[in-house]
Amino acid sequence: MTGRRGEGATPVTSPRLRHLRGPSAHARPRRQERRGPRAGAVQRRLSTRNGLLFVSPWIIGFLAFFAYPFVATVYYSFTNFNGVSAPHLVGFANYSAMLHDPLVRTALFNTFYYTVIELPLSTAIALGLALLLNLDVKGRAVYRTIFYIPSVVPLVASSMIFVWIFNPTAGIVNDLLHGLHIPGPNWFFSISWSKPSFVLLGLWGLGQPMVIFLAALQGVPRELYEAANLDGASAFRRLRAVTIPLISPVILFNVIQQLVLCISYFTQAQVIESSDIGGPGNSTWFFVQYLYEQAFSFLKMGYASALGFVLFLLTGIVTVVLFRSSRRWVFYSGGPGD
Amino acid sequence: MTDVLVPTRRRSSLPPGRARHRLVRSLAKHAVLVAVSVVAGFPLVWMFLTSLKSSHQALAVPVVWWPHPFVWANYPQVLTAVPFYRFFLNTVMYAAITIIGVCLSSSLVAYGFSRISWRGRNLLFYVMVSTLLVPFFATLIPLFVMYKRFHMVGWYLPLTVPTFFGSSVFSTFLLRQFFMTIPASMSDAARVDGANELYIYRRIVLPMAKPAMATVVLFQFIYSWNDYIGPLVYINDTSWYPLSLGLYQVLGTYQTSWPWVMAAASAATAPIVILFFLTQRVFLHGIAIQGTGEK
Repeated sequence: MTGRRGEGATPVTSPRLRHLRGPSAHARPRRQERRGPRAGAVQRRLSTRNGLLFVSPWIIGFLAFFAYPFVATVYYSFTNFNGVSAPHLVGFANYSAMLHDPLVRTALFNTFYYTVIELPLSTAIALGLALLLNLDVKGRAVYRTIFYIPSVVPLVASSMIFVWIFNPTAGIVNDLLHGLHIPGPNWFFSISWSKPSFVLLGLWGLGQPMVIFLAALQGVPRELYEAANLDGASAFRRLRAVTIPLISPVILFNVIQQLVLCISYFTQAQVIESSDIGGPGNSTWFFVQYLYEQAFSFLKMGYASALGFVLFLLTGIVTVVLFRSSRRWVFYSGGPGD
Repeated sequence: MTDVLVPTRRRSSLPPGRARHRLVRSLAKHAVLVAVSVVAGFPLVWMFLTSLKSSHQALAVPVVWWPHPFVWANYPQVLTAVPFYRFFLNTVMYAAITIIGVCLSSSLVAYGFSRISWRGRNLLFYVMVSTLLVPFFATLIPLFVMYKRFHMVGWYLPLTVPTFFGSSVFSTFLLRQFFMTIPASMSDAARVDGANELYIYRRIVLPMAKPAMATVVLFQFIYSWNDYIGPLVYINDTSWYPLSLGLYQVLGTYQTSWPWVMAAASAATAPIVILFFLTQRVFLHGIAIQGTGEK
């Protein structure tokens, strides 16, 4: 492939490219020969038209499947709406109902709890595993593949597996703990252990950030480590002073991506709590689950829209805060690149 | 992401003390890596072992590790107790339609965002990427109401139609990153010869982008295979369930029969894990591009 790209770089009149001529190529004068200020403007307008044409499927999709529903969410959030009859405006009633809804508070707290534990742990462990894989070890590709497997397992299946291995009586985890004379908790069925159990399930599937970290680590120039070695820097110091700053943009990327996933935590909770939504003592009602229930079990579409808009605001605020703080800790070496 | 081969110093030239030191360190690394591998692999192994036990054996305390005898019959039993074959076909169909949609629309859009330079291109590109930050549930309700009004709820239309309109931002991003690496001179040469953009897209860029397209196909396949939320909201007829919802149904119906539940989970997981094994290089490379933006 590289060879062919090389040919592409040869002068444009290359006879090899003759066959690439479009059907009307002969009739038209070559564009390069009529260069002038006018021709430039025409050319620009033409490429704007072409660019927009190529992008138009996305523009249509964006307007129909994103912009419209986004605006409509805001509108519905100010209405009483069951999804069928016409929505009628109720002002801020949905938002004030939210303030007085104890389950909203519970769901927000649970989601916050899960995010605050899961996000730093998964980022740190993913980075740790990536550092380990980046060491010069034999069979690293094999390990990388094994570490990634949990992330391709369907979420429904992995949730089922975790309920089973963490089963309080017949589960293998409590059986092993029993062997060590540690009394096993009730995991997903215990108020105090249900959230940590979900965190463990989340940590099992951290292949994605790990692979991204690994790719970033492989992009760190070796000379920098050699220079640090010559200066007598310890392994920890090399990590702090060389590795972390150089991969900080990727840390930001992973954190944001995981954060969006944490705030919208749904599938695993819905599967694991299939017989008891909310979990023991409502300890694992997650925000989006509550939104889903309000919308599709109680047909409170207006209220659910308000919850949806709050979800958007929460995600937006946290992302903006992260981006702002990133000016202090993210280091861009390449300058304003592509 | 071809693995960077680290030039290792010749071991024989090291003094024996350092050689031993190296050996110890290497063993320690492997010990940690093997331990993590066990944690990653064990739940799947346990799923499979459970699927071969009798109900009685699965619930035995203390836990019986090795199924005795192997109850292979769990598989045909659970896979016929629910229309599993149908779920499988539904999933494949869902994946196939979205793959077509994504390949068509994302490649066109990615071309517009990379091979033609025009005013506003970067701005629109940033708008597109930033839509990734908006949670699925934030816009779900009006979308649902809209599809309901067009009588599209109940079948796969709400899940497939948007893919023909560039809804897979990730695929578009991935293809754009790839298209950017193709030298501009390729297009310029063809333009000078009078080729129009569509011609360049079809005859020059797409043929060169086969590896990137393969990655997109793979990702879309795995995405639709594992998708749960979309079908949960829009598919309500059991006979149109994809595997993810079918599995959920198995869990709800045969909750206490863990071997059956695990057999169904194994049957839904095995194809995707095997596919991943076969394509892991392409796949992991795709993830890396997504994260680092590098090709």
